[in-house]
Amino acid sequence: MSVTAVDARRLQIGYRNGRDSTTVLSDVDLTVPQGEFLTILGPSGCGKSTLLRVVANLLDPLGGQITVLGDAPEAARRARKTGFVFQDATLLPWRTVVQNIRLPAVVGGRQARALPESRISNAMELLGLSGLEDRYPSQLSGGQRQRVAIARALIDEPEILLMDEPFGALDEITRDRLNDELLSIWRETGMTILFVTHSIEEAVYLGQRIIVLAANPGRILNIHDLRPIKTDDNACQREDAAIVAEIAAQRRLLAEAS
Amino acid sequence: MRYTHILAPIFGALSILAAWQFLLPLSGVPAYIAPTPTKIIAVFFTQTDLILSNFLPTATEAVAGFFFGNLAAVMFAILFAYARFIRMAYFPVVLFFNTIPILALSPIIILIFGLGMTPKIIIAAIICFFPTLVNMIRGLASASPNEEELFRMLSATKFETFLRLHLPRSLPMLFSSLRIATATAVIGAIVGEWIGADKGLGALIIQATFNYQSDKLYAAIVASSSLSIALFALVALIEARVMRGWAR
Repeated sequence: MSVTAVDARRLQIGYRNGRDSTTVLSDVDLTVPQGEFLTILGPSGCGKSTLLRVVANLLDPLGGQITVLGDAPEAARRARKTGFVFQDATLLPWRTVVQNIRLPAVVGGRQARALPESRISNAMELLGLSGLEDRYPSQLSGGQRQRVAIARALIDEPEILLMDEPFGALDEITRDRLNDELLSIWRETGMTILFVTHSIEEAVYLGQRIIVLAANPGRILNIHDLRPIKTDDNACQREDAAIVAEIAAQRRLLAEAS
Repeated sequence: MRYTHILAPIFGALSILAAWQFLLPLSGVPAYIAPTPTKIIAVFFTQTDLILSNFLPTATEAVAGFFFGNLAAVMFAILFAYARFIRMAYFPVVLFFNTIPILALSPIIILIFGLGMTPKIIIAAIICFFPTLVNMIRGLASASPNEEELFRMLSATKFETFLRLHLPRSLPMLFSSLRIATATAVIGAIVGEWIGADKGLGALIIQATFNYQSDKLYAAIVASSSLSIALFALVALIEARVMRGWAR
C-alpha cells in the first residue's frame, strides 16, 4: 500500500486544438499519498478542473509525466480505480435514483459487472437516500442530486475519488452538511480524495493539504499542509482561531496573486 | 376557477361556431360557398358511408407514410450521426432533395407508382422524413459534455453510449418532430390524392369543390383535421408514457 495515489512530474496541462495547443497549467509537480484528502483551490480559469480531468484520463496532458496508483491514468480509469463527481451531478433524467446509481453496472463493456445489490443499498444508506429509490432527478433537491452522484461514484469502490466543485451550486447550509458527510465517508472508506473548489472556507475545512492555484498564467501558488491545525482524523471546527486565520491567509495569498 | 383552463378553450370554440351558425345566414354569403356548422355536421350522419369510405384510405396512407418516413429518418440520422464520411458525402444530397417542392415531386411519384395507395404513402413519408432527420441528428448530439465524460469515465463502449445516452437524449427532439409530422403526414396523403386518386379525402375535396357541394367539402376538411388530431393525440400519449419523470 505504499504506492502513491497520484504522482506528477513537470506536467503540462491544456487543450489541443488540431496542431495548436493552449497551456492552462504548467510545471505541475505533485505527489499525493494514498488515503489523503487533498483540496485544490483557485479562481476560475486557473486549470483546477483541467488538472482533475488529466488525473481522471478524461484529457491527455500536453507534456510531462503522470502516474495514477503507479500506472497510467488510463489503466486506473479502465480498472474503475478512479471515480468522478461532476459539479452539476450529471444524473440521467430518464433514470430513477436507483437506476442512476446502478449505471456503472450497466455500461462499461467487459468492465460492467453485476454489482452486488448490497453495494447499491449500502451506498443509498450511506448517503441518506433510502426511500428515494424510485424518484426521478427532476423530483430531487440540488443536495439530493449531488448525494446520488456521490453514491453512483462509490458503488465501484474506487481508490481515488475526483470531485469537481461538487457542492459549488448548493446553498451554504446544505454544503456544510455535505462537507461533514463527505469527511465521514472518507474516514470510513480510506479513499484518496482530490477535491476541487473555489471556496476558500471549504478548501481549508476539508483538506489535509491544500493546493492553491493562480490564473493567468495558471500555476501552483502554494502547497500547504493543514494537518498541524487539525486532529489526527482531519477534524476541525469551522470557528477555530487557527482555521479562521488560515482562511484569511489563503484569501490574502490569492488576492496578491491576482 | 379550477376548470378554467379546460372550459375557456371550449367556450372559445363554441362561441365562434355559434357566431358562424347565426351570423352566416344574415351575411348573404351563398350556401354553396360557406355552409353553416349544422349542415356540415349533418353530412357525417346522412352520408356516413361516403365519409368513411374516403376517410379510411387517407388514414391508412397517412399512418403508413408517417411510420415509414419517420422510421427511415431515424435510421438515416443514426447512420449520419456515427458515420462521418457518409454524412459528409450524402447529407448535402439530402439537403438538395429537400429543396424540391413536394408538389413538383408528386406527379413523378404518381407516374412511377400509379394511382394506388403506394405513391400517397411515399409522398406522406417524404414530407415527414426531412424534419425528423434533422431533429434526430441534433438530438443524438445533444448530450452534455459532462454526460459524455461520465460515460467515458465508466469506459462505456460506443454502442452502450448510443443506447444508454445518445438515444434517450434524442427522444425530446424526436417527439417534437413526430408531433409536427402527424399533421404533415396527412397533408402528404391529401396532396397525393389531389394529383391522382378516385377515393380518399383529397379526392373528395376535389370532387366536392368542382360540384359546389360545400357541405361535403367542409366535412372532408373536418375529417382530415380530425385525422391529424387523432394522430397527434396518439403521439402525445406515447410521448407521455415514454418520457414520464423526465421533466427538466
